[in-house]
Amino acid sequence: MSAFALELGLGALLGLVFVATLAARGEDRRWIGWIAVAGVFALGVVSLVVPPVEPVLHGMFVQDGLALFAKRLFLAATFIGLLAGIGQPGPGFARRAGEYYLLLLSSLLGMIVLASARELILLFVAFELMSIPLYVLAGFFKRREEAAEAALKFFLVGSVSSAIMAYGLSLVYGAAGTTDLAAVARTFAAGADPLLVLGLAATFAGFGFKIAAFPFHMWVPDTYEAAGTPFVAWLSVAPKAAGFVALFRVYFEGVGPAVSTWVSAAAGLATLTIVAGNLMALPQQNIKRLLAYSGIAHIGYMLVGFAAASASGTAMVLFYLVAYVFGNMGAFLVADAVSRAEGSESVAAFRGLAQRSPVLALAMLLFLLSLGGIPFVAGFWAKLYVFWAAASAGLYWLVFLGAVLTVVALFYYLLVAKRMYIEAPAVKTPLPIDPALAISVALCALGIVVLGVWPRAVVMAALHVASPLF
Amino acid sequence: MTLPVLSIITWSPFVGALLIMFTARRRPLAVRLIAFFAAAVPLSLSLWLYGAYDREAAGFQFYEKVALVPPLGISYELGIDGMSLLLVLLTSIIIFAGVFASWTVATRSQEFYALLLALVTGVYGVFVSLDLFVFFLFYELAVLPMYLLIGIWGSSGEVKPRGLFAWAYRETGVGSKEYAAMKLTLYLLFGSAFILVGILALWVTGGATSFSFLDLESATFSPLVQRWTFLAFYVGFGILAGIWPLHTWSPDGHASAPTAVSMLHAGVLMKLGAYGVVRVGMGLLPQGAGDLAWLMGGIACINIVYGALSAMAQTDLKYVIAYSSVSHMGLVMLGAATLTEAGLNGSVFQMFAHGVMTGLFFALVGLVYEKAHSREIFKMGGFGRMMPAIAAAFTVAGLSSLGLPGTAGFVAEVLTFMGAWRSEHPWWLGPAVAGTLLTAVYVLRVTKQIFWSGPSPHFHHLEDARGPEWVAIVVLVFVLVCFGLMPGIAIGPVDTATVPLLARIIHP
Repeated sequence: MSAFALELGLGALLGLVFVATLAARGEDRRWIGWIAVAGVFALGVVSLVVPPVEPVLHGMFVQDGLALFAKRLFLAATFIGLLAGIGQPGPGFARRAGEYYLLLLSSLLGMIVLASARELILLFVAFELMSIPLYVLAGFFKRREEAAEAALKFFLVGSVSSAIMAYGLSLVYGAAGTTDLAAVARTFAAGADPLLVLGLAATFAGFGFKIAAFPFHMWVPDTYEAAGTPFVAWLSVAPKAAGFVALFRVYFEGVGPAVSTWVSAAAGLATLTIVAGNLMALPQQNIKRLLAYSGIAHIGYMLVGFAAASASGTAMVLFYLVAYVFGNMGAFLVADAVSRAEGSESVAAFRGLAQRSPVLALAMLLFLLSLGGIPFVAGFWAKLYVFWAAASAGLYWLVFLGAVLTVVALFYYLLVAKRMYIEAPAVKTPLPIDPALAISVALCALGIVVLGVWPRAVVMAALHVASPLF
Repeated sequence: MTLPVLSIITWSPFVGALLIMFTARRRPLAVRLIAFFAAAVPLSLSLWLYGAYDREAAGFQFYEKVALVPPLGISYELGIDGMSLLLVLLTSIIIFAGVFASWTVATRSQEFYALLLALVTGVYGVFVSLDLFVFFLFYELAVLPMYLLIGIWGSSGEVKPRGLFAWAYRETGVGSKEYAAMKLTLYLLFGSAFILVGILALWVTGGATSFSFLDLESATFSPLVQRWTFLAFYVGFGILAGIWPLHTWSPDGHASAPTAVSMLHAGVLMKLGAYGVVRVGMGLLPQGAGDLAWLMGGIACINIVYGALSAMAQTDLKYVIAYSSVSHMGLVMLGAATLTEAGLNGSVFQMFAHGVMTGLFFALVGLVYEKAHSREIFKMGGFGRMMPAIAAAFTVAGLSSLGLPGTAGFVAEVLTFMGAWRSEHPWWLGPAVAGTLLTAVYVLRVTKQIFWSGPSPHFHHLEDARGPEWVAIVVLVFVLVCFGLMPGIAIGPVDTATVPLLARIIHP
């Protein structure tokens, strides 16, 4: 039974939130969020103690080290994201808060099942369970025109990607004659059947949409700009992490030496994604769009580790994901604090923040430096480790390209730092900040500093969970 | 257990920075006193080190080691040889003078001193670390605070958009401090990208189990790896050393930076780049260095002449000094490229001499600017009567810059010339000597115009140096003359480091 402990627990939490939503009265129902936060926290504690077990349901559902690592990460990200969103203002949010939490937790359920899925149909169902609530959440502020537009765009692109993925999976089934991923991997390892390669490539396109790799990234900036920021902070990290875990399961696990099939495709995709994300981020004046494009570039860096197609590469992508969860969420949450106070999502709203709220500005600076890959914060180790993995695989050109493009990234990150530190503020008063939001920002900052100073524990854990795949 | 002297030197500025951030809020005098102690402790310790270093035994001394990330072989490993010994001394002198030179910083002085001291920890760390990885971490720490230091406390120059690219000048705000800060930071981080790739290449291909210089020196690399990795290190560190054509960040950056930052940057940080090329590039990849010495030397020659010609064309005093650094860094790189004992000694000695000299120059320019509020050379004149001490010190720095016997600059240049003559490319001597002549032209012209010509109608009643400002001037002039008269006290230890280095390049 313990294999499903987290899934069942989350199911129970969903039921509880559902009942609370039905029972809630009044205009402000944001208190339901505390149930969700407490529940996710409890599940996080449980996830730390449940042991990995042998695959159940005929190998369909695996609770191995990788799955647990991923689930802990999802729960941590969701905890921070939910906490940050509790004090969220916004038209109609307070009254419909219950729906928000319900949808978000459903998506989380999809993710944690996805991390364990080792069967094509379960994988696909979990994927859809994760995705469909996201479409609704993107358009949660339905009275805003841009939110409706963003949700529609997200939905259309997402369903096309799901369709391509389903098509790819059907080809995979046709070639392998089974939906069991372990058997598919064995077939693939035995010899590259063109149909199987085509099927897996089409599936990759589907995943590409979800992790927002170039050229499947078009939905990202518009969706991020229009949706509520605490949700976007979570959207920018958790589903991406889930996408990567699924990629490892489908393309690496049990494939053996045949993994090298994917190296050139992944390296090419990584190159395009890094270049496109960084260059398109340059002209952005809206902080959320800026972070959206920079997030695309980060996916590219993770694909660098993916392209290494090795146990160390996989482990380093996992470490990168952890660093990215804290760094990117933190940056979005500070952006949320600023936009709540200033009523503007423009980069210009950060003007003189260092003299108004020095601690908040310092936190933002740390997040930006972490995203830029500067030493003493988590992002540095993340970039270093994926580069190391890629260099070990002989991909020196990719390492060089990635390293040079971090300089482009630092340019736009430093422009934000310039607003905060160099420009003088219009008013000197400290920025008002919601306590729950402040706590989540502090958690993110703590995360990147601890990982920056002492990355070892997480790196070792990532190496430990990644090595059985190969 | 012996006292970890190198760690104390490295970290005491950082401790000072923390103390300033947390205890001295809105107490400017306390800020300056803490900064003084944070600079004085390393200065006195590095003077002690200079005496205590065993010149007979040579090699790395005052060794410290703590394992940091054992599975990757990263450890906090410190030690100094004759070369780093001199550069640690240089750093401690410059920051000590810099604390006094920026005594009058008024806005946000707490953050200013904290960032300045944090940066200095990075500089010390680079010079003393023996672990390539820790070396790189310190290197980044030395580079990054620059952005804020120049962006917040810098001054914008008066560059008028002119000529074919006037529109681009206007668009990017050339001459403004924000532009200079961003340009400098991005250039240097671009360099770190090369360095990082080089480090990874060494680690992966060498099959070594640690990042220690001592281990990596004994690893063998194929000629192809040697050449490419050396090139990566040469470009990466070379950007910080101001190699042509990647030097353009330096005039803008140095001209816009506040006084102490210009002193530190031109005086010490550019040497960090040269030190990186010598220690990491030439030290770990001797064969690659031998193969590519022609490239290093050729580019150094361009640096010398191009930098001097550019300096001649400037009308802004700070830009003159900044371009002269580009020219002198060319001499440093040329000395290293000669692959001769005299040349390499000259190179290291030039790092020291130029560091002190340019530190003095920037300190004086800062003082002149503070009193006259002008950097326009042709607006100023006759300052010798009003500020005799500043004028005298400026003249000494200028004479050292053009290599007058009796100053440190002379020793460095003669050694480098000797090296160039004995190297495989004796023609290098031509541009090197031409550069010295050009230096004489622009330095003497500037000195005459500002200090020793007839009085300018624009300025009356300017004051000479006062109080703390004297300390900076006296210390730097003393060092410049002292090492010029007794070069042996520096050449001795340096020689113990350069001879083994060369032996590995010439007889691999």
